[in-house]
Amino acid sequence: MRATIEVHLPVFVVIMPLFVAFVLPTLARRIRLVEGVVTSTTVLWFLGAGYLASLVLIRNGNPIGYSLGGWPAPWGIELSVGSLSCLFLLMVAGVSLPVALFAAGNMAHEVGGPKRITRFYVLCLLLGGALAGMAVTSDLFNVFVLVEVATLSCCGLVSSRNHPLAAEAAFNYLILATLGSALILGGIGFLYIITGHLNMGFASQELNRIWQEYPHVVWMAVSFLLVGFGVKSALFPLHVWLPDAHSAAPSPASAILSGLAVKGYAICLIKVLYNVFGVALIQELGMHRILTLLGMIAITAGSLFALTQDKLKRRLAFSTVAQVGYIFLGLGLANSMSLAGTLFHMASHAVIKSGLFLAAGAIIATTGNDRISEMAGVGRQMPITMAAFTVCSVSLVGIPLFSGFIGKWNLLLGSLEAGNRLAQAVIILGSVLCAAYLFPIIRVAYFEPAPAADWQDPGLPQKTALILLAAGVILLGVAPGPFLELAKRAALDLLVMK
Amino acid sequence: MTDLALALLSGAVGGILIGLTPRAGNRLRNIVALVFSAASTVFSWRVAGAVFAGRTIRISGEIAGLAWSLQPDPLGAVFGLIVSTLWLFAGVYSFGYMAGEHKQRTYYTYFLLAFSVTLGVAFSGNLLALYLFYELLTFATYPLVIHERTSEAMKAGAKYIIYSLSGAGAILIAIIIVYSWTGNLEFAGGPLLAGGGLRPGLGWVLALFVAGFGVKAAIMPLHRWLPAAMCAPTPVSALLHAVAVVYSGVYGILRVIYSVFGHELTGQLHVGRILPWVAAFTILAGVIIATQQDELKRRLAYHTVSQLSYILLGAFTLHPWGLAGAICHMISYSTLKVTLFFGAGIIAKRTGKVRVSEMSGVGWQLPRTMAAFGVASLGMIGMLPLNTFWSKYYLMRGGVATGKWQLALVLITSGLINAFCFIPTVVAAFAGERGQPTLETGSGTSLMLAPMLLLAGIALLTGLWPGLVWPGVDAVVDWFF
Repeated sequence: MRATIEVHLPVFVVIMPLFVAFVLPTLARRIRLVEGVVTSTTVLWFLGAGYLASLVLIRNGNPIGYSLGGWPAPWGIELSVGSLSCLFLLMVAGVSLPVALFAAGNMAHEVGGPKRITRFYVLCLLLGGALAGMAVTSDLFNVFVLVEVATLSCCGLVSSRNHPLAAEAAFNYLILATLGSALILGGIGFLYIITGHLNMGFASQELNRIWQEYPHVVWMAVSFLLVGFGVKSALFPLHVWLPDAHSAAPSPASAILSGLAVKGYAICLIKVLYNVFGVALIQELGMHRILTLLGMIAITAGSLFALTQDKLKRRLAFSTVAQVGYIFLGLGLANSMSLAGTLFHMASHAVIKSGLFLAAGAIIATTGNDRISEMAGVGRQMPITMAAFTVCSVSLVGIPLFSGFIGKWNLLLGSLEAGNRLAQAVIILGSVLCAAYLFPIIRVAYFEPAPAADWQDPGLPQKTALILLAAGVILLGVAPGPFLELAKRAALDLLVMK
Repeated sequence: MTDLALALLSGAVGGILIGLTPRAGNRLRNIVALVFSAASTVFSWRVAGAVFAGRTIRISGEIAGLAWSLQPDPLGAVFGLIVSTLWLFAGVYSFGYMAGEHKQRTYYTYFLLAFSVTLGVAFSGNLLALYLFYELLTFATYPLVIHERTSEAMKAGAKYIIYSLSGAGAILIAIIIVYSWTGNLEFAGGPLLAGGGLRPGLGWVLALFVAGFGVKAAIMPLHRWLPAAMCAPTPVSALLHAVAVVYSGVYGILRVIYSVFGHELTGQLHVGRILPWVAAFTILAGVIIATQQDELKRRLAYHTVSQLSYILLGAFTLHPWGLAGAICHMISYSTLKVTLFFGAGIIAKRTGKVRVSEMSGVGWQLPRTMAAFGVASLGMIGMLPLNTFWSKYYLMRGGVATGKWQLALVLITSGLINAFCFIPTVVAAFAGERGQPTLETGSGTSLMLAPMLLLAGIALLTGLWPGLVWPGVDAVVDWFF
């Protein structure tokens, strides 16, 4: 029994949320049951991801392979669970759990009746399944399919809020994201045309053998993929859909979208760039410079835009744009330190940003307005919410002993190794700007004279969710152990040509 | 080791305790604050005593894959002694000054937390721990800067945060570079970079460190946050913005020069040779701007900018006498400056006067305050019966010994300008008509006056017997040379 579970675990973590998503509508009338099922699914999911990660760590990072339907690799779809997949799976499942807790019993005012809420959960689970799939798949066409599933569920999540703005934001998102999907499909098509393979390993071998014969096709493929995944992961200046979409969505959805969905596409890009093209080819094409430059621009511009926002959720959304910049910057620097830093930062940002969005959601739901300038007194009256918000902010800025510091420390070491002084300066500038756009919120909440209002922390599950995320941020900062280990191994795996 | 942990924890525990008891009365809160700061002070004295006796006290651990350690050496012990002693004085002064002010709970919470964090800076044993506490100090003191909650205070707070975090960012880059060179950030094993010779980019790293710590040490042109921060309550200005916070910047620079680079390596770098002149410029420019200020606290702030660079100047000479002067000035200047600020606070509280031009006659209303203020003013010039005479003497000796006699000239000029800075105030204070009723009454005033007079007394005492502080100075110089 145990052996069977172990063997099928890689596909189980993908199938389980998808399966529950299809069953869920039949329970739509009993909303309590739906919430219970979703929460227990995420718990199970997290346990599965954790077990998988421990298996991989025991195997010293050797990936666990799985052939779907028993068909071997060049013909069938191959799943491969390595350190990168485990890190990402842990992050997705680990963040989904508190988000599901937060959403329980708390969606009526943002989403509507039981049917709409059930639909919301279905979309969440579909997105989760797609993200898990992105983590484990090593098939290019499978990547495209999962990207499409994720995109459509994201659009659905944005529009699930009963507010006219949400529909508009979702529509804008749909148009741009479809454009991105088309580009991704095109890029994958180009790769398939010249290599004849959809399996990443085989495509990679073939590509590195023949790429000099088709330089233009390779260029087209890589630029299509970069722009396509760039749109989806909100790389500046392709981020235009993100602030609207992430601020219009219901708060738990914003947390998932900003914390996880954006990273899913980034993981796909990492896999395509490093597992298919390979680091040597990337550097041959000069892609690493482009990625670094785009990352630096995104950090600076995203932070500056965030500074000018007075609406809480929009400020957080622009902050995501800036943090995506760190991911791309680390990808471009292309050494083991910077990649480890990027991957760790990805995971820590997922926890931090979900915490920030959930706290923001609780604050907006209680106070009834979303302007930072009108948040005075929140710190006193909603102590736990604001404490979680503060812990997450401090971590995002990168104060030592919080998770953000470790990611930035490794990124700084990486940029030093790459000899890129400018990147170092931008990383630090990003931190200072991050303080400049997050601390005023804390200042207003704690230190400005409070109006006479009776605000209170949200209910117990919501408080638990916030405490879990804040604790996660501190845990990742003080004892990053297995996570940092996974990130470092994943970075080495990406750099080694198979 | 227990002493070290208790010294650091007492302040933090006291602060948190006060923060979590909103219903406690003022009296109870004051007692708690006093007990915990006294505990912290006593434990840091014990730590310093152990360090001077040659014992090694160390707490270290690995968190997040990086080594962190606390291990005071003589320099840290001296800094810890200054801070903890003055904190007790400022605490007592606060009880008088803050009585009747708003938000006392917030004030004492962060007052004690900042105490802990400053001791952390003093006792840190490697660059990472130093960086952590240096960064935390910004956040622990921010609520004190914006205590008044006016828009002016909020602006000053924002300025303070942005300046400090930018500085911390520069330090982080420099630390990363040092880490990539040596893989080790401990202070204890002699200068970190000494073994590696002249690496390319060494000068830049030094410049980054000095610029980063220079923000809190208020080296011009990084000093702008300091005058703005004067909107804080006077005990905060006195303790944090004349001593603790700004000294943590100065201390950082001393650490970098003597524990990271080492005086020999620094001397071989161009940047190292320019630094004394940067300090000399700040000394003169700071004190000249100070004479132009009409608001007493702003005048004191610019004067602080100037005086901090005395200490830096001594450190930058890279000579044992210069370092001795720097350490000596750290001790003597802090006693006098806190006295001056305490005086300014009493004047503002009892008469409502905050400008130098309004001071006429204040001396007769507040005779003892102004007498102590006058003594401290004389000290700032560097007159003999006061302790600053000795520190200036060592500083000049350090300058001359390294062949830079111009530095001695700068110090003498600055001393003369200092005379213009405060003596007219004291003269004006006693110029008005006599016979006005004294305002030095009430228990609140005596709580403020007692620490002030005591500090002026200490300054006189250490001026007459400089041998009292010499063992500390000597230990530091011996440690680094």
